Amino acid sequence: MRKVLGVVLLGLAAVAAVGATFLPFSELLIRLAPGQQQTAYVTSGWSTHFGGAKDEHGPLFGIPIVVMAAVVLVGVRWRKVAFAGAAGLAGVTGMLFVYLLNAISFHEEGNIAIDPALEAGFGNGIWVLISAVVLAFGAVVVHPDD
Amino acid sequence: MIGRPTAIALIAAGVVLSATAMVLPWYSTAYAGGVEVVVRAWGTDVLNKPGDWPSGELSPWYGVPVVVTILLLVAGVWINRAALAGAVGQLGAVGIVSALVVSERGHALEQQGDFAVGFGLVFLVVGTLVGLVGAVAVQREAA
Repeated sequence: MRKVLGVVLLGLAAVAAVGATFLPFSELLIRLAPGQQQTAYVTSGWSTHFGGAKDEHGPLFGIPIVVMAAVVLVGVRWRKVAFAGAAGLAGVTGMLFVYLLNAISFHEEGNIAIDPALEAGFGNGIWVLISAVVLAFGAVVVHPDD
Repeated sequence: MIGRPTAIALIAAGVVLSATAMVLPWYSTAYAGGVEVVVRAWGTDVLNKPGDWPSGELSPWYGVPVVVTILLLVAGVWINRAALAGAVGQLGAVGIVSALVVSERGHALEQQGDFAVGFGLVFLVVGTLVGLVGAVAVQREAA
């Protein structure tokens, strides 16, 4: 039973981590001129978009996340590898969180004069990623191989 | 096969290298007019900031997660699993920094800037890999 639960949790953690890379990590909604529609500045694991324009050099946060998700999956066989994958996913998430926290506040401060009603904040991707970390550590706890 | 004393020495070396990275520049970009953006573990310095520089600071404290992983590595001298958590956690954090460095380099070159990797980033990468080898060796020794 513990083995099945461990495998399910590790699988869910890996899927959640990879899925998070396709969701927004941070979002800025801004009206560049009064009366205009809001333009969205969105960063995900694979791209950064400002309205319809794509940043050709946007950071590919998805790569380290997918690598750590793969380690989590390999952890189905060995508990220590599952633990390492969970820790790696936590490291990725921690550093990404620190970056996004500052980037969101930068976007807010830098654009508040243009649109005082702008909305800037975390996207769903970061919350799904944090959930993946929790699931991965949960899987380590119930993992039978010790 | 690496013995426990060697593994602990590797972890210690990883800690010292990573801690040194906390006080050295990680990377910098120089633009026309002598403007230089220097990124460190504890924020970004803009030298010769022009008058029209955007308000707000894009200056993350990358050092925070690295300090946590360094502390785990230190704890790893006594608790094997802490070494593994610290080393792999730091590897994950370095992965995010690497994605940012590639992105920043692309932006810098697009704007005709000169991009340079600093000793801090080199120390961080080497410290992470050395610490990881030590942490893995400690696990194998304990098995």
